[in-house]
Amino acid sequence: MSVLETPRIYFRGEIAWDPITTNNDPDFYNENTAESVISPGETVQAYRESAIQAVPTGLWNPHGTHRSIFFDTEISGADLGAGTITDDPFVGSPCGFLGMLVDCEPYGAWSSQQFFDSMQFGIAGGCQISCARTMRAVARYINFVRNSHNRMIAGVGSVIWQTSFPKAALQLDAHDSPALIALNKAIAAKDVLGLTVRWNTYRTIYYDNPCLRNGSAATAAAAAALEAKLNEGGFQPNPARGLVVGVIGLWRKSEPAQEPGDRALLAALPGEVVASAFARLDRDRLTIDLGNSIPEVDELLSKQDFGDLKAVAVAADGVTVLAKLGSLDYHQYDRNSYERASGIVTLRLDAKAAKAAKGANIQIRTGDGVLVLAEQALRALPTDHNLYLDEGKSAQSFIQVFKHGAPVGAGTLVTIYDGNSLASVGSATTNSSGVAAFTMSSIAGGAVEPYILVAGPNPVAPAQLDPQTTPYMYVRTLPADAATAALPPTWDNVYAKVLANWNAMAPCMDNWLRLNDEAQVRAYAPVLKQLTDPGNFEAYRFMPVTRDMTPGERTLLYAFLDSAPAAALEMAEAPAQKPRLRNLEKMSRAMRSR
Amino acid sequence: MIRLELKPLETIQDAWTMLEQAIGVEFGTLPPYLYAMFSIPPGQNVPSASRIKSVLLQEMVHMCLACNILNAIGGAPALKPPSYPGFLPGGIGPDGKPLKIRLLRLSREAMKQAMDIEEPVDPLDFPDAPLEALAAGPTAVTIGEFYAALDAFLATLPGQAWKSNRNQITDDQFFAGQLFAVNAYPDAHRAISIIVSEGEGAKDTPLDFQDELAHFYRFSEIYRDKVLTKAKNKQGYQWGPRKLGVDWTKVFPCIPDPGVHDFSKEPAEAQAAQAACNLAYSRMVDALQSAMTGTAGQLGVAVRAMFDLRLAAQVALRTPLRDPKLVAGPAFVYTPTSGGASQ
Repeated sequence: MSVLETPRIYFRGEIAWDPITTNNDPDFYNENTAESVISPGETVQAYRESAIQAVPTGLWNPHGTHRSIFFDTEISGADLGAGTITDDPFVGSPCGFLGMLVDCEPYGAWSSQQFFDSMQFGIAGGCQISCARTMRAVARYINFVRNSHNRMIAGVGSVIWQTSFPKAALQLDAHDSPALIALNKAIAAKDVLGLTVRWNTYRTIYYDNPCLRNGSAATAAAAAALEAKLNEGGFQPNPARGLVVGVIGLWRKSEPAQEPGDRALLAALPGEVVASAFARLDRDRLTIDLGNSIPEVDELLSKQDFGDLKAVAVAADGVTVLAKLGSLDYHQYDRNSYERASGIVTLRLDAKAAKAAKGANIQIRTGDGVLVLAEQALRALPTDHNLYLDEGKSAQSFIQVFKHGAPVGAGTLVTIYDGNSLASVGSATTNSSGVAAFTMSSIAGGAVEPYILVAGPNPVAPAQLDPQTTPYMYVRTLPADAATAALPPTWDNVYAKVLANWNAMAPCMDNWLRLNDEAQVRAYAPVLKQLTDPGNFEAYRFMPVTRDMTPGERTLLYAFLDSAPAAALEMAEAPAQKPRLRNLEKMSRAMRSR
Repeated sequence: MIRLELKPLETIQDAWTMLEQAIGVEFGTLPPYLYAMFSIPPGQNVPSASRIKSVLLQEMVHMCLACNILNAIGGAPALKPPSYPGFLPGGIGPDGKPLKIRLLRLSREAMKQAMDIEEPVDPLDFPDAPLEALAAGPTAVTIGEFYAALDAFLATLPGQAWKSNRNQITDDQFFAGQLFAVNAYPDAHRAISIIVSEGEGAKDTPLDFQDELAHFYRFSEIYRDKVLTKAKNKQGYQWGPRKLGVDWTKVFPCIPDPGVHDFSKEPAEAQAAQAACNLAYSRMVDALQSAMTGTAGQLGVAVRAMFDLRLAAQVALRTPLRDPKLVAGPAFVYTPTSGGASQ
């Protein structure tokens, strides 16, 4: 579906990643209570210094900002139905994206998302697609064996990002660009909702040094140099850099906005050496998105050579070949081809093969018959990939079920499993649109929980959450923090119970607002209330960036901001609070993964 | 149009002098552009603020790249903070006399001044408002020509004149993809090409090497309140019809040229606000000076000081003067905080 149709437009470039890493570590942050772990008597300054001292142990960016930004990224080609073209006037136009990279589950790597305000392809006045955000971009199908050569933090991995823009959020100026003229025409179709943008990020480099490897002496030296720089004072971010290939295409009705909804060809080799791919069948052509799939094997980003990759349609036994759909030789999936068409390849099918592929599962096999990718026909995909709930609240969440990339009708069973315990936590059947509705409930005291979604009768609990194969969603419950809400709105209380959390964890805030300065905080009261308003949750500038302010913290903060300074000074002292219990199981798990 | 005096280039010391001048020009554009940008309240005149900011960031990159070239050929960058109203180093205006640069809030006058600074040798003439051809003095050259002469000289330097990895500022922390080390002539040539392209664009297009609008045309869009738009005409572009959306009234009522304003007669809060701005600016200059001469971590210190300056400016721009209808932005008055920069 979607970006696998033509016309589609490709882009390529680089991205800088600048997350704060301090909240990835349970020594510094409790993701259940949504609080920085500030020991009794520890000052914010001491906490910041501890975070700096932890750089050599792997916390590589205490002065991050969460910003991620495209650079040197441009339109690289288009496909209007006859293969990739690079002579369209739109090609070479700059692509702009500035997002806030935030993990719904800060300890883990599977729930990344980017909050942003706009994406810009081309420039105002020229050929352009200007996109105003309506939803965040979501990461899925993280692939931890993408580049075995680049074993440095998450440098070995890659991930698919996707977001979509309804027609009303788009400005498309085609001018003399045949690609944009074609896209403009296609987008006018009734069942087209707008545009989907999907991109793959890979080969991430840390400390600006592609030669670094986990545990090496050079890495230790780079970390020591950063630590020294941080101790110099000032603002010392240490962004990582990755590569990007992407595609812009049609977003049709019933297609998922934030993850691929095409036919899912799941990783089947041991170790998932070839990561999951996505396919779309359009009459006589089978288009496959290998954007996240084929690993690189060296610093030159050479793609692994599996020889010819053959696409086949198979019978229900998963073995018997019903039809040979086509073959990709190495040059069709090597680095050049990958960068030219963002990993998307097209096979022409004869009528018989096309017919067979329509209702049968598709597989990709090597020339000697080894199964590399296997279609899972039924997929239950969330519409809320990372759902935030306040403690005590619940929300209805919708799961869309697809069969061979198209929405199913009524009556398909969807089962949700707890991603940790793997216990079934609920089931529902789809309506006539193929949508099953669930009520997701918050967890007492706050927590971040993954849920695995399984479609079809006689469901079996998956062995584990595998981002390559199991659709999933995260639900983050922010504690109600009623005791904090009830505190007198004094500066001491609001700083200690609210602002110190981010003042400690996010030294970058010093650039914009001194959170420990009562006068400044008061002076910015209207702006602070606007930026922390839950109604602005999707906005790039929402505060806190980490989206972890509890209702109680917000209540206390607003009460303080609404109070007159003199009145605040006269408030009684806050009653003593019971210390919160830490979730030791969660902390232990995170410690193991560090 | 700013034109720079071009002296014969015969020795490497001549190139050092020329690069010092280039660094001074790039640095010197920051206060007037910052003043105009700071004068825009948050959420107002967004397209204008965005265009000015994009130019500002590139001017900072240009300054760092010029420092990298100077360091690579054995020089020692020394920042000489200008006073405004005042002149860019070596700058000569359209009539052959130095162009006095002023600190002005967002206004047509401020944008005209910015266009004067950034104007290419042959500005492209688009329908709706053709620009006048400007005469060049015999000894004065545009910034582009100035860099071209420098580039030609650098190309003649022997390999041993280039000192690899000497005090280089790269993009490992800031300006991803834009800052790179200059270790040999090809790097210097690339840096100069970027500086000229982003400032002036190409001869036959208003776009720079990355298909973004060159600085002159970004300021022109604000000045004209029209988006420069692709068109089926001889020139390939026209002004508008889409408006940029400039509202000249949606700015802080800040006085021009606060550097020559007598703040001793202003309320204490306004004096304190100016002092905070000047302190942050001075710290920024000193840290930049250290960063340019190879002290690790000082670029981060300078960037923090730049944010401090912005915070201080926001206070200043909300602090009424004796005439309560007026405020003052930062005067950019430099006082050494650590003996870092030259005066």
